[in-house]
Amino acid sequence: MKKNERNAYLFLAPSLVLAVLFFMLPLAKSFTGSFLTISQSGKVLGFAGLRNYAALFGNPAFISSVANTLRFIVLFLPLNTFITLLAAALVRKKEKWTRIPEFIFLTPLALSLSALALVFKEMFRGSVSIMGRIFSTDVQWLDEPFTAMAVLVVLGVFLDFALDFILLLAAFRSTDRSILEAAEIDGASGARMFFLIELPAIGNMLSVTVLMALKDAAMISAPVMVLTEGGPFRSTETVMYFYYLEAFRSGNRGAETTIAVLMVLVSVLLMTLISRRRRNV
Amino acid sequence: MRGRRIIWTAALMVFLCIFPLSAGGSSEDDGVVTLWHSNSGVLGNAFDDIIEEFNTTVGKEKGIEVEAVYQGAANDVLTKVKAAASTGTSSLPDIAQLDATAALDMKNSDYLVLPGDLGVDTSAVMPSAIESLMSDRGLLAVPFNASSLLFYYNKTLFDSLGLTPPETLDDFAKTAPLLGEKDSSGKVTRYAFAGVPATYELGAFIGAQNGLSYMVNKENGHQGTPDKVLFGEEGTFKNFLEHWKKLYDTGYVSNITSGVSTEFAAGRTASMLASSSSLSTVINTVGGRFEVGTAFIPRTDENATGGVNIGGGAMFAFSQDEKVKTVLEYLISEGVQLKWAERTGYMPVNTGLYDDPGYQAFLEGNPQFRVAMEQTQASNPAVTGVWLPSAYQIYYSFQTEIRNVTENGKNIDQAVSDMVNTVQAALDEYAAQNLV
Repeated sequence: MKKNERNAYLFLAPSLVLAVLFFMLPLAKSFTGSFLTISQSGKVLGFAGLRNYAALFGNPAFISSVANTLRFIVLFLPLNTFITLLAAALVRKKEKWTRIPEFIFLTPLALSLSALALVFKEMFRGSVSIMGRIFSTDVQWLDEPFTAMAVLVVLGVFLDFALDFILLLAAFRSTDRSILEAAEIDGASGARMFFLIELPAIGNMLSVTVLMALKDAAMISAPVMVLTEGGPFRSTETVMYFYYLEAFRSGNRGAETTIAVLMVLVSVLLMTLISRRRRNV
Repeated sequence: MRGRRIIWTAALMVFLCIFPLSAGGSSEDDGVVTLWHSNSGVLGNAFDDIIEEFNTTVGKEKGIEVEAVYQGAANDVLTKVKAAASTGTSSLPDIAQLDATAALDMKNSDYLVLPGDLGVDTSAVMPSAIESLMSDRGLLAVPFNASSLLFYYNKTLFDSLGLTPPETLDDFAKTAPLLGEKDSSGKVTRYAFAGVPATYELGAFIGAQNGLSYMVNKENGHQGTPDKVLFGEEGTFKNFLEHWKKLYDTGYVSNITSGVSTEFAAGRTASMLASSSSLSTVINTVGGRFEVGTAFIPRTDENATGGVNIGGGAMFAFSQDEKVKTVLEYLISEGVQLKWAERTGYMPVNTGLYDDPGYQAFLEGNPQFRVAMEQTQASNPAVTGVWLPSAYQIYYSFQTEIRNVTENGKNIDQAVSDMVNTVQAALDEYAAQNLV
């Protein structure tokens, strides 16, 4: 219907205007900017060709930030998936007692990111930290490249846990009862029931949460900023934190625009995968 | 049709929400001077008191009210100033307290108002503090909180061993095994030194060599934008690394980059390097568990006689306004500088105080505070902080190379050449983007 269509566009208009104004235009500007030489004050000085990209890939700090981000993803993704899935699976059957763990699992949602990061920073600070006492060790958590990354991963899981948990729990609980009952009648139970029936039933939602976690991991910057500032010795300097330093601290427009373009490409790829998956949920 | 009208109204409202964003601006001339600063904790309390006193005395008389806004650490203030400037000068504060990492950006900006243009009288300000902010454009800002690098040590421990603070890194390498301690399993329970030098420390370790050495050309970037790295070809970084490695190889240096003063206060390291501005905070944290001593920083070698540079912060102005001048002159006045110095450990920048009985009495009672002053007076004023682009990244690179050399056995020449390349790349990048 023609009239319906026009109304639909009218309803969409505000969002479209906002999207064009705040997303498409800046994106186009960044994209063209990445091939130009732009001064710190925003003046275009000339055409740069691929010079900005060459400078970026020739910068060892950028390469190490990519490696750090990949290392974070490799550590974070399986751990996050396993823990959220485990938590959701344990309380998936709604009973009286499950309300308590459900409530606890949801509390990270109520905490702001930087507050949580600051709490972590205090817990792991120095060799006489609270965590040092608890584990009776004097490991300087945030001063060893490996442990600093580990703390960052744990913080990352904390930050992503609640949302992933809700989504998975909702998926478990909205699984068609008749399938489960049919399986039960056929004699499925315990682990077989879980791995062969229930898990595949939430497969789509699981992959959505995995892809969302992947996107969060690839874009991680704020927790790094508060917890480690990229240290020790750049071992936790992720791509987005590198971007922040170059763009906002150093005012390097070349690095700013090129990284922005590259990261948009990566996230567009991830979002396409997510929305493909979501269509099937 | 009503439905249609509602839709149009909704779309219009979205537009109306957007327009004020671009049209927003600050109201003019209401007597308020906005000041962004970076003082927190002990420093923050002292600073708030100073501003409050201004507002209730001088400010009240002249109808000026200073609105002091804490904006995070000095580099956060810089980040915010640059962000504000990129949206137009109306969102800039009137004054911002920034440190040396800001100097290059500020020097090349078109929104900075020089103290000379404001007519601020800086004749009473200590010469090395003026020198630290002097550029080819003239004095960039009004020094407010002057500090220098100090060697902090556990005086109780040093005294019990009959040791005095080391004069050179080689001396330190000799005494480090005495200062450190291991338990029966061979694990170090007390280090002689903790921390990894970065740009600030190297400003002194490199700058002092041969009486005066620059890290980059154009007098460390003060006389124009630097375009060439000097610490490589002049061998100063290599010289430092060789002596530092000797110290590290004693096994009593802890390569930590955060929480150094916590370790010092916990007695887990016998010494550290920190800004003189941390003195009050360190003494508070130690809380009398041992006596805190301060000394001149160890020299890289016998010939490194240049001393230290003045660091700390200064007040950069962004409005050409008589009120701003009044506030700046108030901040460097004797009374304010005395109060500020006594409560924080910063050196007073007003030379009128140096024979002031009040200040002398204070130094008499707190000898640790005197050392920074003496060290500065014994230093070559031409030794100045380095002004570099990408300061934050370079800071990390220095630490990474020092760690590579000390912990991972990286060849010193290789480390020097990698470091030169990193800094040169930052200089080239900056030149390509900003100097045409």
